[in-house]
Parts: sequence; C-alpha cells; structure tokens
Amino acid sequence: MRGAALLAGIAGIAFAATAGSAPDRPAAAASLALKREVAQLRRERDLSAGKAFYLRLDAGRQRLTLMLQGVTLDDYATSGLEWGVPEVLFIDRRPAAGWDTEAISQGRLDPERQRDRLEVVAPAPAVGEPEHPAGATPSPPPAPKSAEEAYSVPSPYRIVFAEGISLEVRAKGDGRRNRSLPRRLADAAELRLADLGSALGIGSKDRIRLRVTLEAEDAASLYRSLPPDVGLTLVGLTPR
Amino acid sequence: MSSGATTPAGTPPAGTPPAAAALAHATAALARAALQGVLARLAAAWARRRVRWAAAALALVVLALAGTGWDFEAVAPRVAVGAAVKPASREAKHLLSERERLHAALRRGVPRGPWIVIDQTHNRLRLMRGDQTLVEAPCSAGSGMVLKEGARGRVWVFDTPRGRFEVLSKSENPVWKKPDWAFVEEGEPIPKDPADRLEYGSLGEYALYFGNGYMIHGTLYERLLGRPVSHGCIRLGRDPLREVYRAAPLGTPVYIY
Repeated sequence: MRGAALLAGIAGIAFAATAGSAPDRPAAAASLALKREVAQLRRERDLSAGKAFYLRLDAGRQRLTLMLQGVTLDDYATSGLEWGVPEVLFIDRRPAAGWDTEAISQGRLDPERQRDRLEVVAPAPAVGEPEHPAGATPSPPPAPKSAEEAYSVPSPYRIVFAEGISLEVRAKGDGRRNRSLPRRLADAAELRLADLGSALGIGSKDRIRLRVTLEAEDAASLYRSLPPDVGLTLVGLTPR
Repeated sequence: MSSGATTPAGTPPAGTPPAAAALAHATAALARAALQGVLARLAAAWARRRVRWAAAALALVVLALAGTGWDFEAVAPRVAVGAAVKPASREAKHLLSERERLHAALRRGVPRGPWIVIDQTHNRLRLMRGDQTLVEAPCSAGSGMVLKEGARGRVWVFDTPRGRFEVLSKSENPVWKKPDWAFVEEGEPIPKDPADRLEYGSLGEYALYFGNGYMIHGTLYERLLGRPVSHGCIRLGRDPLREVYRAAPLGTPVYIY
C-alpha cells in the first residue's frame, strides 16, 4: 500500500515537471538557434570585412556562393548536402556544438590545381638592326589554352580548410568524363586511402567533412576558378 | 511414391556405363580425400599458437577497416526562428537587435552603383548594378607566362591580380607607355628616351586604370578574346569596352577572381 502511494507520488512529480517545462522547450530551442544565427552572421561580417575570398554555403537556400567583401562573384545551386565525421572502429568523433559558427579559413584545393606556365627566355636585344627585316612579320606566340583545355577536373574534389573542416564537391551527371579511366581509378583509390588515413588521423587533420553535389559544369567551374586561401561560412546547418 | 530414379549419394544412377561410373566414383573419392587433407592441415596449423594469433590479428584488422572511415548524414536546413523567440526576454531582445545590426552591416558592403566582376580563369567580364547584369562579355586576362631576361636575370610573371580594386582613372584613346618587359620580350634594346616608350593605338579606344599598372582596355586581337593572352591587364572587345567606359564612373569597384 505504501509502495503504491510512493509510485503514484513519483509519477505525479514527473508529470508536473514535464507539464511545466513543455511550453519553455520551443522558446529555449528558438533562443539557441537565434544565438547560432547571430554567431554565424558575426562570422560572415568578419569575412566580408577582410580581403580574402570566401565561400558561403547556405543549407536553406541550397546555394554555394563565392564572395569577396560581401559581394557575390559566382553562385551555384547545390543538392544533397551532407556532413560527416570520421568513424574509427565504429565510434564516430562528433565535434563540439557550434563548430559551424567558428572561423573557417585558408581553404585549398585537393587535388591541387596544376597550372602549366609557359616559360620564355627573351632573345638578346639586337643592336643597330631594324626591328624586323623588311617584309617579315614576327610570328605570333601560340594561343594559350582556355580554362577548359588547361585543367582536368577530378570528381569528387575537396576544399580543405586549416581548421580541419573540408568541403567535398561532387559533380552531378557526366562530370567525370573529362578524366581518363586510369586517372579516375587512381583518383578513386587515392580517395579511399585518404579517407581511411584521415579517419585514423594519419596525414590529414580532417575532423568534419561537408559534402555537396553541383551540376558538372558548375563543379568544374568552381574547381578551375577557386582563388587560393578561401574562407568558408556556413548558413542554416542543423546541429547533429 | 517416386519413380525410384534417385540413388544414394556417390552411387551412379542405374543405366550409367560402367567406365563413366568408375570415373565419377574415383573423382568423388579424390575430392573427399583432398578436403580431408586440407581440413587436417588447417587443424594442425591451428594447433600452433602463432597461427592462432595471426588469424586473430587478421580478423581484427578486417573489423577495424570495416568500421573505419567517414560517417555521413544528410543536412536538414534550419528553420527561421525569430518569431518564436519571446521578445520580452532581455537576451532575446539583444540578440534580435544584434541580428538586425549585422544584416545591415552586410548590406552596406554591397555596392550601390555599378560594379565590375572579372572571372580571370574563364575570361569573362560582367558589369553589374545590384543583382542586374548590364554587360557580359569575353575578355582576355593574364596569360600566366614567365618571361626571363637572359642578360640581367630579371623575371616577369604575366598574371592578373585577384581581389578588389577601384577604377582610379579613365582615358580616351590611351597611349601605352611601354614598360621594360615589352622591349625585352621583343628582343629590343630598352630606350633611354621616355618618348620612345610611347605606343599609340594598341590599347583601343578607352582605358580604365585600376592600379599598379593594370587597366581594362581594348585590343587589336579581338579574335583572342576569351583566352588568357594578356600581360596582366584585362583586354575587352570594342563594343563592351565602350559600354563599360560610359557606365563605370571613377571609384567603381572591380572584383577580380
């Protein structure tokens, strides 16, 4: 009899506690989300006040934007936004809350974009001679390759930031066709090994990875034109 | 009842020729013997401690690899929250006003008048006003070529700079004051008289100077527009250059990436 009364009392207290906190819960969550939003805006304001280029990844609008000092330079539609953490022996390593509102800087492409520079050694100046013999015109230098001809684009590729955050960009559609089959196989093997290594903390300091899919043309365009040392600001991510 | 076509395992069915039956029998016996041999060897190996350790280590490695990698999940976009926050709370009030202030600061960064964006990788120039594109045209940015001077060892790299610049001055029918590299590249002696450096007509009708010797100007080689062929300046076709020249006053921001 005494046990039943005790149980009823505990149940009553639990009910009262639940009923009392229920209305506050959405307000507390909203307040937390507002704090995050303000922190993100502060980050964005800091980036826009600097001289470095930065990417703005908006999860809500599904856009990836290249920006400089608050001005949109290029804008891409994204899909399939995911984020991941390394898992070692089935145990994942989740970051502390608020990682997405911290400074994310010095992003560099991986694999790196190779630029073949034409090197020319100037001819010795001809003294006392006419610029060009009569009737002869100097042959024009060969036209340099366009961006599409100069760079082959891997898919996926990553933009790796100094803070251990990386953005993996995948191409939708036929984004891989501009690389030969052996090159793609090598890319895939390299990627798997790098994934394993970064999960184990060997060589790479990756701790959080974001993954987006862009149209093949957009993914290629971003790879070819991404300035060095870009920052990143994340908008509208839901904490895990 | 079945028809009686089934036979005990290993026994050839009735009607099989004797030679074939013998062969099948021998094959089955050989397979059994081989399997027994392998099992016996495995059992013998397992009895050794070293083999047991190796097998256990291999199993652990396989398990570790299977459970090591990256774990991804889809991102659900966060919903707007402003309305749900109690405005009565002092902290909420502070946060809401801070949010407004930050939004305003970010809006202030966007130019009010026209601005120019140049994608030097794809050799495209856009003249913008707000979100509207007024002019979009192919251009030619720096070739990235490296020029080495044999005698004095000077090196020039023909890159277009990246960043934010401003139109600092504008001129019609600009005259090019050729720098040293222009003579070195052609294998000509560098003139002592500054007047010998002046070249007329090669920069087109207009030039918009944005600092450090860099300009947006016209070109004699319009067929090469869309390719990186310049020495760092931005070359533009005649018609878009005319529009940009008219629409972009001094102080117009130029963003090059």
